[in-house]
Order: sequence, then C-alpha cells, then structure tokens
Amino acid sequence: MKKLLIAAAVAALLAPVAASAKEMTFASWGGAYQEAIRKAWITPFSKESGIKVEEDTGPDTAKIKAMVDTKSVTWDVVTGGGGGLMRGVKLGLFEKITPDMVKTDHVLPGARNDYAIPSEIFSTLIGYSTKAFPTTGAQPKSFADFWDTAKFPGKRTLPDAPETVVEAALLADGVPMADVYKTLSTEAGLKRALDKIRALKPQVAVWWSSGAQPVQALGSGDVVMALGWNGRFQAGIDSKLPIAMAWDQQIPQVGFFMIPKGAPNKAEAVAFLNYMVKPENNARLSEYVAYGPVTEQAWASIDAGRAATLPSTPERLKNALFLDIEWWAENGAKVTEAYKTMLKE
Amino acid sequence: MTGIATSEGRSRSAVGRGFPVWLGLAPFALVLAVLFAAPVLSLLRLGFGEGAFTLAQFQRLIDVPVYRSVLGTTFGIAGLVTGLSVLASYPLAYVMATVGPRTRNLLLILVLLPFWTSALVRTTAWIILLQSNGVVNQLLMAGGLTSSPIAFVYNLSGVLIGMTHVLMPFVVLPLYAAFRSLELSTVQAAEGLGAGPLTIFSRIILPLTAPGVVAGAMIVFMNAIGFYLTPALMGGPGQTMIAQMIATNINKELDWPFAAALASVLLVATVSLLALFQRRFGLDRLIEGGGGKAGEPFTVTSRGRSWGGWAAVAAAVLVAAFLIAPIVIVFPMSLGSSPFLSFPPDSYSLVWYENFFSTSKWMAALTRSLQIAALVVVISVGLGTLAALGVSRMRPRWRALVETLFILPMIVPVIILAVGLYYLLAPTGLVGSIWGVTLGHVVLATPYVFITVRAALKSFDGNLELAALGLGASWPTMFRRVMLPGIAPGIAAGAIFAFITSFDDVVIALFLTNIRSRTLPKLMYEGVAHEIDPTIIAASCLIILVTILVLGANLLVSKRT
Repeated sequence: MKKLLIAAAVAALLAPVAASAKEMTFASWGGAYQEAIRKAWITPFSKESGIKVEEDTGPDTAKIKAMVDTKSVTWDVVTGGGGGLMRGVKLGLFEKITPDMVKTDHVLPGARNDYAIPSEIFSTLIGYSTKAFPTTGAQPKSFADFWDTAKFPGKRTLPDAPETVVEAALLADGVPMADVYKTLSTEAGLKRALDKIRALKPQVAVWWSSGAQPVQALGSGDVVMALGWNGRFQAGIDSKLPIAMAWDQQIPQVGFFMIPKGAPNKAEAVAFLNYMVKPENNARLSEYVAYGPVTEQAWASIDAGRAATLPSTPERLKNALFLDIEWWAENGAKVTEAYKTMLKE
Repeated sequence: MTGIATSEGRSRSAVGRGFPVWLGLAPFALVLAVLFAAPVLSLLRLGFGEGAFTLAQFQRLIDVPVYRSVLGTTFGIAGLVTGLSVLASYPLAYVMATVGPRTRNLLLILVLLPFWTSALVRTTAWIILLQSNGVVNQLLMAGGLTSSPIAFVYNLSGVLIGMTHVLMPFVVLPLYAAFRSLELSTVQAAEGLGAGPLTIFSRIILPLTAPGVVAGAMIVFMNAIGFYLTPALMGGPGQTMIAQMIATNINKELDWPFAAALASVLLVATVSLLALFQRRFGLDRLIEGGGGKAGEPFTVTSRGRSWGGWAAVAAAVLVAAFLIAPIVIVFPMSLGSSPFLSFPPDSYSLVWYENFFSTSKWMAALTRSLQIAALVVVISVGLGTLAALGVSRMRPRWRALVETLFILPMIVPVIILAVGLYYLLAPTGLVGSIWGVTLGHVVLATPYVFITVRAALKSFDGNLELAALGLGASWPTMFRRVMLPGIAPGIAAGAIFAFITSFDDVVIALFLTNIRSRTLPKLMYEGVAHEIDPTIIAASCLIILVTILVLGANLLVSKRT
C-alpha cells in the first residue's frame, strides 16, 4: 500500500515533466522528400536527443508570412530555398542563425546563408534521351550542345520560368562562369540571354512548369533533350527510362532549413539543425534521394556507386555555377516579366 | 417570353407575404461580410500602398505589356471554354433527359468523373493520350489519317481540351434540369404544326433551356478565369493565365501589393464584362424566360427520334467518349509498377493500391475530405437556397447588384481568399481544425447553389405558388409541397457543385489545414515538386469505383421501389 502511494506520488511528480517533454515541429513538402528527411534525420535525431519531432506539410512562404504576421507560428523548422528564401529574409520571416548557434564553417562556401542552414544540393542540368543519342555516337555534354541543333537535332524542353535558363543561355553563348551574373545585371547582358533563348524557341516543344514534365517528355520521346532537375532525371533512370545526364556543366542549388521568426521551440530547432548539418549525418540523406551533401567531409561516408548519381562531388562542382539566390531576390520580378514577354512573342 | 407569370414578376404582391426578403438574404450576406469581404478587402487594400496611398502597382500593370496580354488571354480562354462547354453539353443533356434511368445514371457518372480524379492525374492522363507519341496520335498514324503527329497539347487546343473536360458538368447539370422541365406537349404541338428538328431546337428548346444554360455558362466562365494548373501543364507559353501570375506573386515573389493589384484589375474587368454582356444581350431578359410547368417530363415524342434527335445522340456519344477517355487511361496507369507514369505500363502490380490501404494517411485524408464536403453541402445548400429565394422576391432595381455581390466569391482568385482567411481565422484557433477549411469552402460553394437555385426559381411557374397560397396553404406548406419539388433539380445540381467544389479544392486546404486536418487533394498535391506518387492515381481510381458502386446501388434500389 505504501509502495503504491509512493508510486502514485512519483507518477504525479513525473506527469508534468512528461507533459512538457521537449518537442518541436518540422514542416516540409511531404511525399518522398519528407520521407527521406524523416529516415535520414528526424527519426535518428529524436532517438539521440529525446526531442519529439511533430511533422507538418506545406511550408509555402506565403503561409509562413501569414503565421509570422499573425504571431501564430506553429513550425520550428521549415524547408525552402531559392529567391523565395531571400525575399522572406527581407520581410523578416526567418530567425538569424549565428555561427555560435550552428557551426557551418565546414560547409561549402557557396551554400552558406545567414538565415538558413543548407541541407542538400540539387542541380539543374541537361538530361537527354539515350535512344536519340546512344553511346555509339556523340552525346551532349555542355549547355552549348543544348543549343547546337545541327549536331544534336530534335526537340527540347525548358522551364517556363527564367531561373537557371538565362544562366544556361549565357554559358552556352560563351560567357565565363564568373561573369554570368555581372553580365545578366546589365540591360545588354539580359538581352543577350533572352536573344539566345529566343533563337532556340522553335525547337522547344514543351515549356515545363512541373519537374515531372521533362522526364515525361524525354520518356515518351516528345523531346530528346531537357533542362531539368537531377533528382527527377534520376527517378526516371531508376524506372528504366532511356535517360542520361550530362554532368560536365550544371547549375546547382542549395536546399535550406530555416527557423521561422517567433518559432515556439527555438532551442530544439537549433539542436536539430546542428544535428542535420554534421558531415556524417548530412551524408545520410543521399541514401534516400539523389541529392548531394553540403560539405566535402560528408563524402567519406558515401559509397562510390551512390556518389556517381549525386551533383555535389568535388569533381562535378568544378564546372558548376551556383544559383545566386540574392541576385534572384533582387531581379526576379523584372527578369520574369522580360522572360514571359519573350515567350509570348 | 411566354405569357405565363413567373414568381419573379409577383415579387411584391401575393408572395410578398409569408416569406420576408431579409430572411433569405441576411444569412448569406452575413457570411459574405465576415468570411469573404473582410478578409479579401484587407488583402486587396495592399494594392493601393501599404500606408500612403499610391497607384504605383497599377502603373506597373500598365507599363509592362505582358500583364495586359495575359489578362486578354485569360478572358479569351475562359470565353472559348464556355462556348465549347455549352456546345458539348446540349447533345448530352438532351440524351440524358430522353433515356431511361439506367443510361441516365451512367451518363451522370461520366459527367462527374473528371472531378473524382485529381487535377494532376487528369492532366497527366490527357498528356499521355495527346502528346506527339501519345495514344491518339499513334492511332491516327496507324489508321493512315495523318502522316506526322498532330500537336494536341502544349498549345491552345491542349488547354481547351483539359479545361472543357472538367468544366462541362457545370453546364450539363442545369441544362439537364431545364430539359426535364420542358413540356412534351409544346414539342408535340410544334411537330404537329410541321416544325422540323432545327426549328424546334431554335424556337422552342433553345429559349426554354436558356435559364439553365446561362446559369451553367456563367459558372464555367467564372471558374475558367481562375484556372492555372491545367493551362500551365497542358498549354504553351502563349496560354499563361492571370491566376498563375497572382499565385506566383503571392507565394514565390512575396509581392502581395502587386498580387492585390492584379486581383483587383481581374475583379473589376470580370464584373464590367458581366455588366456589359448583360446590357448588350439582355442576360436578365434571357433568364426571365422559362416558366415551363413542372409537368410531364420531356421525353422522345410519340413518333420517336427525328433525324435531329439521332444526330444529337451521335454527338452525345462523341462527347461521352471525350469525357471518359482520360479515365480509361487512368485505370491501367494505376496498375503500373513503375513510379514513372506511362501507358501502357511495362509491367502490372497492385503496389499503389497496397500503398493506399497500408498507409493510414490516405484513408484519414479521404475521410476528412468527405466529412468536410458533407458539412459544406449542408451549410451552403441552406444558405444558397435562402439567398436565391430572397433575391427572387427583391425589387428588380437592386436585384442585379445583390446578385453580383453573391457570386463574387467565384471571381476572386482563391489564393487571395485563402490568405485573407488565414489572417482572419488564425487568432480564433480555427486554422488547422476542420472548421476553418469548412468555412472557406462554404464561401466558395454557396454561389454555385445560389446560381442553380436562382435558375430553377426562374423556370418555376409562379402561378402554382399563387394558386397554392390562394387555396389557403401557408407559405411553408406551399414551399414544401409545391415549390420545393419544382426547384429540387436545381437544388440537387447546386448540392453536387458544392460537394465537388469542396472535394476538389487544394488552395484553401493548403492554408487552413495542418497535417491532422489535411484533405485528400492537399495530400495528393504534396510532394509533387519532387515526384508524383502514383498512389494518387490509385486513390483516384478507388474514388471512381466507389462512386460508380454507390450510384449503381442507388439505381438498383430505386428500381425496386
């Protein structure tokens, strides 16, 4: 009886502790991507730290803004990237993450950001049909080859938004990597990129708006070459579609994790980000999706077969132009208008 | 049109007593004020500067020609889709009204099928059918009808096919209801007097079905203006629509003032276009027509179908084939073993069905969607029917204005409403519960009920109402025994539209639900940036099967009784 009473008292004492057990909420895009994040990071992190991670989906920047504005933030870590991230930063939607909160000096310099911790690297590059261009003949290697319709005849597909396309056009036109954004910032440079795309227009069968479309079009033979995302091409290759990627030239992009301003469990969020960006942990995502790690030190834990499918190997990054998200936050609206005008001509 | 008085004409006399106008108008007006006007205006206000008043956003709209051209494209496509929908609906609605219940139910299922498949599945199926190495082109080339593939998709024709396919039901159902209330004797009399099928169509059927068609066409037009997923996936760069630019500015560019300006211009342009159309073509007078007695339903005349009737049947068969084509493709696609969607699949498996049943999230989302849609139907049928009754009893002077206000939720881009509602509901804690998204859907769905019931009331013979009241029936008794049976097809069509509006919505759900309250379309939409999970195809097929079973069972039961 006494024992029972003590047990009850202990339970009563413990109950509030259990109720306030550490937890946090993570929001991403659902589907296979979030499943990979769960397996690679969330589950092991929970086990190691004892922090319970709730998941949610659909972290559109507009919804984050609405949450921050109405002070009803329920997410502690969200995923995102691109120009949208920097526009969000400008509107004050994300917490600043200082080096003493999360250590990132081992991360690739092109992937660092004051308001976000890089999680993975994916890439925009050329995918082509191995039926149209088999190994017995010439295969496209560079963006210049994408524009070379004499050497590589057949229809193409390009994104219906300008990000990565204007960069690829200038690279194909012979602008050195280091000068691409400098050139694009001038009227003449932007015109040069748009003219280059305009010249290819008759050969572009599909202007894609969803990442599945280039794979669909390559698989069906409607196009022979596509500018698209490596993860999607890889999924097509894994499904035995006749597709290969040209790794010699690419425009990588960084996926980021952010903490929305006013997140209820900031300390837990910081702990999670620290866990995720550690080289040996960061390497793990590549087991589940064809995205590369954000630090060179991670390659030690990735086997060679898998590395061949990933965009951020030191070798491949030599000829890669990182998407400049600050430049896009600054110029996105203007360039999109010019791009849409060119497309509608 | 005819000499019969409609209930409309008697708004102030006998029917004035018994049912006060305010009782009809007030509930929906209140809902609109709180859940629509307040949130939407607070967002649209941003277009005029976030502080000091400025027209800078509108200046940008004028300075950059692409926005004008996109606005023009939007109205052009919406107009074409509306025309095509009306054209394709006539033969189908005629056949539905003149066949037995079994065939009719089958056709009804066909018409509604596009809604049970997610927009992503639907467009993918169309692309697989229509792309240059697609099924249709292969058939055409094998048959020697063409030597090189025809470009059906990634251009205007792709957009028109994809949009007409899913918007047609909005015309078919009201039109079917109009056909059902046609009087057989009118047609027989015309035939007896020697009128041919063309004359009968243009002089009798066309005028008498006008209210149904106008109601349906209006819904299609409004709906089409807000489309962007289908044009983005099935069109080319020339088919960019304004809703896409609004969504991009809200979500990607985070330029809400500019999105607000775009939305305001769209709103003003749409309302002016409607007003112009009404003045030019006398929309109201056209709608006033009808007045058919709810008597013997329209069937084939005693002499059987005329050549015109048979031509309509042939056309209806083609339309039915058009409706079902992508669905037929979806079933084998759902049995493919590769996560890459292809037709025909290389190998078959049930893996995506296993996935659906083994992962609790799919069943949970489906249950949630059905729950929300059911609530939405009940609430919006009540609100919409009351509003339609109220408006039909109003003084004609204010009627057009109130009518326009009541259908505004259809014109305002959904994303504007969704964001506005988030700001309104976040402090109340309703975001994330099923009530937040339900309220959002009620705002979207009620205008559909309002329009279809309005159309039904316009065709309802006011003399019946007067007779019942004159014989001493109280207003509620008259409504239950006389009016309700008369306008029931309109209410039913409105209820179906309300259901599918809720069941098909992604945008409101994106903003107002979380992982515990997410709906099926939201779940289907997740992950598409990274892959298309073929489980969504399996889910679509299951929903189609369940729909067919339910309607089939319903048919069996109704046959026995």
